[in-house]
Amino acid sequence: MSRPGAGALRPSSYILRGLTLGYLGLMVALPLLAMSLQAAEPGLDAFVKALTDPFALHALKLSFVTAGLMVVVNAITGTATAWVLVRYDFPGKRLVNALIDLPFSVPTVVAGLMLIVLYGPSSTLGVVLGRYGLEVIYQKPGILLALMFVTYPFVVRSVQPVLLEVDRAEEEAAQTLGAHPWTIFRRVTLPTLRPAILTGMALAFSRALGEFGSVVLVAGNRPMETKTGPMYIFGEIESGNTHGALVVSAVLLACSLGVLIVLNLLQRREEARNGH
Amino acid sequence: LVGLLAVVAAGPTCDVPVTEAKEDVLTIGAYSVVREAFHEGILPVFAAQWKRQTGRDVRFEESYNASGAQARAIAGGFDADVAVLSQESDVDICAKAGLLDTGWKKRPGRGIVTRSLVVVGVRPGNPLSLHDWDDLARPGVRVLYPDPKTSGGARWNINAIYGAGLFARGKDDPDPSAARDLLARVQRNVLTMDASGRQSMATFDRGTGDAVVTYENELLLRRKITGTEVPFVIPPATLLIESPAVVVDASVERHGNRPLAEAFLAFLKSPQGQAILAEYGFRPLDAEQDTRPLPPRLFTMADLGGWTKIKKDVYSPGGVWDSLFTGQEAAR
Repeated sequence: MSRPGAGALRPSSYILRGLTLGYLGLMVALPLLAMSLQAAEPGLDAFVKALTDPFALHALKLSFVTAGLMVVVNAITGTATAWVLVRYDFPGKRLVNALIDLPFSVPTVVAGLMLIVLYGPSSTLGVVLGRYGLEVIYQKPGILLALMFVTYPFVVRSVQPVLLEVDRAEEEAAQTLGAHPWTIFRRVTLPTLRPAILTGMALAFSRALGEFGSVVLVAGNRPMETKTGPMYIFGEIESGNTHGALVVSAVLLACSLGVLIVLNLLQRREEARNGH
Repeated sequence: LVGLLAVVAAGPTCDVPVTEAKEDVLTIGAYSVVREAFHEGILPVFAAQWKRQTGRDVRFEESYNASGAQARAIAGGFDADVAVLSQESDVDICAKAGLLDTGWKKRPGRGIVTRSLVVVGVRPGNPLSLHDWDDLARPGVRVLYPDPKTSGGARWNINAIYGAGLFARGKDDPDPSAARDLLARVQRNVLTMDASGRQSMATFDRGTGDAVVTYENELLLRRKITGTEVPFVIPPATLLIESPAVVVDASVERHGNRPLAEAFLAFLKSPQGQAILAEYGFRPLDAEQDTRPLPPRLFTMADLGGWTKIKKDVYSPGGVWDSLFTGQEAAR
């Protein structure tokens, strides 16, 4: 954390701060506040009743489980990708590096459609997989796949810069002392990367909790089976149950916020431990 | 920021020309299914007729949206002069907002302007030989229809299946448990419930599913537009879809164009209007004019007890629809 510079006391910096915070308030805090108030307005009993609705509970559970599984997969594949991009040279590396961010720029609906074309029940791959009893699209694996796709860049992009900065001297020292490469990775490199991996995981998780565009196409939207939290919210809004939708939104939002706050605390502790 | 929002808001509308007094404007808020029939068929002919009768040009402001969303838009301030919606409960949303007389259903013809049937689209040659709702419940048949939570159209489809079960012993001996059972068995075969009827058709077009439950007019319209045939079967017991159109009193009073709106509604119901709608796949209001056969055990929403009763029995929280899933889950 950098200290405020000498210019901090100039009035212009107050104006900048005021404007920035005002902007944040207007664009983020105000809509969130309005939503939370509306969700809370009919009272605690109504809130609990809307939340314990079996359809709402199942949708929330499905969102958490799929997002959780996705985060585990992405932590491993994302770190591996960052590792390959930083530590190895190969033809087309720049292109691969550019491809990583594609899931952010592709409209999520297109991502969903792409998955259907690739794995759908009428695609070649889908037919082959179906023969082995593995259905992807319109089933839970489809949800997982969509989440993995749209959140893939998070871990890669948070690990990559840290990995570039890593001082190779420690790894080399371990190597000369005869440590196995896996031991070096686990004991020397990984601890340095851990905060970055956690950051990527947390961002991916909160993004996945709210993911709608891609999931709605591939999930099948069957209540108590493949309907996720955001799909439940959409359905309830469209059928006039605004309060039920707001309550589930509020829970998803609170969890995302919670994850990000915990992440922040962890990072501070890590920084304190490292003596910054 | 406010300035930015103002610019964004003003953007799409700033090119609207200043209307001259010679031109009449009719704002139509309709559900998406009638888009082609209206835009290409009804509106040009009506405009010509209006010109002949009054010497005035008419310009249409058209909006097409999912029926429920359109109804909520109108109730929320979209000043449509004429509302053309999928089902009467959507018109009720506008009526409850005080935009028209809540007794609108009691008018002659109950405001109905289009009729169609709930049918089952199948693959060419009907390889699984699907003919009735029971066939859709056979193991391994993959069925598509949209989610009744987001699609008003899906409710026509689901009501058709429900009703076929309800009247299995005849209309005078309804059997609610058979209705729930048939619906549960078909729903078990549903692969994906898209947000709208059109999206369900798109999924079917991608080669997914063996059967799609939809409206007859949608499939006939596809034949007209694309020239490709989607084969379909009319189940022996199915539901007659009747969709209403109304003049929105609050809007026409503000715009001062009630005669135009009333004339438009009358045109929709006229033999000429009905003939155009029939070209786009709808069944004529006058059954005498219907050249296509009707299924033997056709029933209507009135036979089912009306929308209010069905909404309460089937779609309310804890109703038949919900019980399909909570019951299923508990049994596992």
